Parts: sequence; C-alpha cells; structure tokens
Amino acid sequence: MPTLAELQRHMRTALLEGEEAAVAPHIRGDGLTAAERLAVYRNNVMSSLTAVLEQVFPAVRRLVDERFFAYAAHEFLTRHPPARACLADYGEGFADFLAAFPACRELVYLADVARLEWLMHRAAEAPDAAALAPQALERVRPEETPRLLLGLHPSLGLIASSWPIDRIWRANRPGVVSSEEIDLDAGGVRLEVRRSGSDVVMRALPAASFAFHAALKAGETLGAATERALAEDAAFDLAAALVELFREGAIIGLALAPEMPSA
Amino acid sequence: MAAARILADGIAANIGVGLRAPHIAEVLASRPAIGWLEVHSENYMGGGPALATLLKLRRDYPLSLHGVGLSLGTAEGLDRAHLLRLKELVERSEPFLVSEHLAWSVTGGVYLNDLLPLPLTEETLAVVSRNIALMQETLGRRVLIENPSSYLRFRHSAISEPEFLAELVRRTGCGLLCDVNNIYVSCTNFAEDAAAYLAAFPGDAVGEIHLAGHFRSERHGRALLIDDHGAQVSDEVWALYGRALERFGMVPTLIEWDMNLPPWATLLAEARRAQEVAESIMAADADAG
Repeated sequence: MPTLAELQRHMRTALLEGEEAAVAPHIRGDGLTAAERLAVYRNNVMSSLTAVLEQVFPAVRRLVDERFFAYAAHEFLTRHPPARACLADYGEGFADFLAAFPACRELVYLADVARLEWLMHRAAEAPDAAALAPQALERVRPEETPRLLLGLHPSLGLIASSWPIDRIWRANRPGVVSSEEIDLDAGGVRLEVRRSGSDVVMRALPAASFAFHAALKAGETLGAATERALAEDAAFDLAAALVELFREGAIIGLALAPEMPSA
Repeated sequence: MAAARILADGIAANIGVGLRAPHIAEVLASRPAIGWLEVHSENYMGGGPALATLLKLRRDYPLSLHGVGLSLGTAEGLDRAHLLRLKELVERSEPFLVSEHLAWSVTGGVYLNDLLPLPLTEETLAVVSRNIALMQETLGRRVLIENPSSYLRFRHSAISEPEFLAELVRRTGCGLLCDVNNIYVSCTNFAEDAAAYLAAFPGDAVGEIHLAGHFRSERHGRALLIDDHGAQVSDEVWALYGRALERFGMVPTLIEWDMNLPPWATLLAEARRAQEVAESIMAADADAG
C-alpha cells in the first residue's frame, strides 16, 4: 500500500506524463479499466488548463488554428504545469515555449504576438493604483530632478518586436473579420500596454519614448532614463514626455535615489 | 421546518447562484433578487478590477467563497502562501460561508487544476484533518467541506465517504457542503445507491447544498457521468435534492454552472426550480405535521 505522498506523485506522473504503471495497480476496476478512469481526470486537467491558455492567447489561437493550439498547449502544460492555484498567473512561459517550438518555427512573429497578449492579460489583472497629479513634481527641488525615481502603474507593460505585431493582433482578435494584408517586412514596432479604466489599451511609441518608459519601469532614475531617450533621439523632449505620462495616469509614486558619492 | 424569507420575485433568501465572469456585468446592472452569490476564491486573489467588482456586489449580496485550489488532501501539507491569500480575501470580502473540497490538486509544487480523488484511509484522515485544522485556525472560522464527484476509487480505501466526512467533522469541527449532484454522479459511476449515501451523510453538519448538471456518457454499457456543471440539474438530482431538504432542513442552496455557460436568466430559472422543490417539501411537511 503506497503512502499518500507516493500515490499523489504516481497520479501526477500518470496525468501529466501518461505513465500509469505505478498508480494503476492501486485503482479499483469496477467495470472500467484503470486507464479509462484516469483518462477522465487527465481530460479534466488538460482541457481546463488549455482553456486558461485559450483565454489569455486568443489571437495566437486564431493564427495557428484551434487544433494546433490545443497540441501546443498540451506540450507546454505537460512540461510547465502551473506552480500555484491562482491561474491568472499561468501562461507566462508560453511565448518563450512557442519561440522554441519547432512545429511553429515558420510563424516568426507568433512568439511576439503571444508576448503582447501576455502583457495585455497582466494589464487586465494588475492591481489598482492611484495616479499622481503633476503637481506632485512641484515638491521636487530642481537639483534633485536627475535622481528622481518615478513609480509606474503596475498595469504598464512594454514590448518591442521586429514584426508589426500590433496590426497582426488587431486583425486576429476574436470576432474580427479582417482582409487587411499585413506586410511583414514593413518593420517592427515598440508598444506600450496599460489599463485605462477597465479597458486595456495599446499604443505604439517612438524609439526615444519607449527607451524612456523602459528605463523608468526598470527602476532607473529620471536622469538615466533621459540619457537613454536622448541616445535614441537627440530631440527627445523630457517635459513633454512627463506631461504625457501624468496625463495617462501612469505615474503612481515619486522617490529620490540616494546621492552618488562624489568621486 | 422553518420557511426562508422570500425575495421580490419569488426566490427564497437561502437560494444563491454561482457567479461567473461572463455574467458579472449583467448582475451588476440588473441586481437580480436572489439570496446570495458564490464565487471561486482563486479568481479574486490577484486583487485588481475583479476584486473591486466583487466588493461592489458584496454591498448588496451575502457572499460565499468556494475554494478550488487549497488542496486539503495534499500529503505535504498546505501551501501557506495560498492560505494567506485566502485569509486576505476573507478579511476583505467578509463572506458568510467559506468552503473547500475533500480532494487534492497539488503535489511536488505542481498544481493539477482538478479535484483529484483520495484513498479513504486512516493516513488520509490524519492528513486532511490536519490541513482543515490549519485552514480554520488561519481563517479564524469554521469552513465547509464538500463531497467530491469521483471517477475512480483506490483499492486500499477502507472507509466509506459519508463515514470519512463524519470523522472530519468530529476531529476538526468543520461543517459540510453537501453536493447533491456529486452524490448522484459518484454513486452512478460506482453502481451504488445515491439515496443510501444521502441517508448516511452526516446531516447535522450540513451548512450548504450544491446543485449542478452533469454529462452522461457510457463505457462498456455502463453509465459514466461527468460532473461538468454544463447542463440543467437532472430530474434524478432534483428528486435527491427534495430528500436532502427533508433530512437537512432549509439550508442555503446554490445553483452552479461552469461549462457551456447559458444566459443568466437560465440560472435564475434553475434557482426558481430549487425554490419550487423547497416549497413542495415544506407543504408536505406542514400536511404531515
């Protein structure tokens, strides 16, 4: 008689890897084979987790079709099953998995569309945070400005792609019928995704703004973020960039980085 | 048998409906006259807009938190982080009921997203009792434990499910959630008598009843029922529900629907049907009294 812990490990192996030899002898037949009984549970596990991925990645599903998606989801979730019961967190690794999945190598943009859908999903689920008004900057002394750290809204996400994934996504949303021809050679795109009210919104950013937002999101100071933006575009306008971030309600906190010791 | 308070359009205050995401906007807008709402706890642990909406509904409806992911049957013990997320949700939403399942879904840090069966042994009794005790201690309240629907049983199970549940109640002081559809599904799948199971169910501990539909399939000429919550409650389950009310009294009853989710109005119609069954039982009770 196996211990409960052993039995649960055997069940996991049977459900995820299809190896039933260890658990089958402990299952009562009652007119069905152990395999038939295990199949009910395996189907529940696989179909419910596949449904979770379908909800998060609807455009990916349309791009590859339902059957291929189910196959890819099965391969993903048997290798990377959820680690916790909050399934809103599940699917983060799916884009990287698709990028390395030989069966969809020809869809070069697929992994980036998946990354975009993951950001949109996280934006929808992100906690609420109160936006700061621009007046908050009035308390900052001019000499402190380069050391300023701007906390961005937790729903804000950024993605750069070599492919026009915004147009690909728009044409492949559920329910959208599009005859738009998308030129894959038209060039890449830098996107910002965030929640506005209860909606998730996406917009393309110029290279300098993208670098600026990415640096702030990574926790760099305003001075360092400005330098990164200027490296992309010498005409980058810091004041205008800040006005825009405040207008979006994207700034939720201000802090000062410690002063660097003088050399 | 005491009658429950009746709400505006005829549904008793003790009949609730399971709220799923596609219905939330309609429920927010129409504020239907139902007794209470139940949600899956795990869907509201991330905070954000989902929780804000739930708290808004909570102002108008009593709430039941039904967990599907704590995995009370896990031999390794509970995931403390998950339990603390539940505690936070309970503190914020102040539910009148908190429930979980006699099942497991976590082993070795992997969550299998299904209510998996347990061998009903002394070892399992010790594990589940310990986990329920920790859950109740952490939440600072009594919880209800639901009988699962099952598709397999283990050879070394030595205790019947009703006896096992009664022993959990005795050891931990927990209450029970009697899922009448699960009784019918499990008993049919093992060619056992659902009425006998119900008669053996520890009635004093029952704090809630669940009703849902199932899917009927066949293997080798035998019925194999799948508890998919994807249809109307079957006639057999309605009949069993009447017997359950006779035994347990007018405990809070929930209509659950998950797969092939129909319009909200269909769930309200199921709630009205539950009301009719309850009224017929009360009428018979009055005649007999």
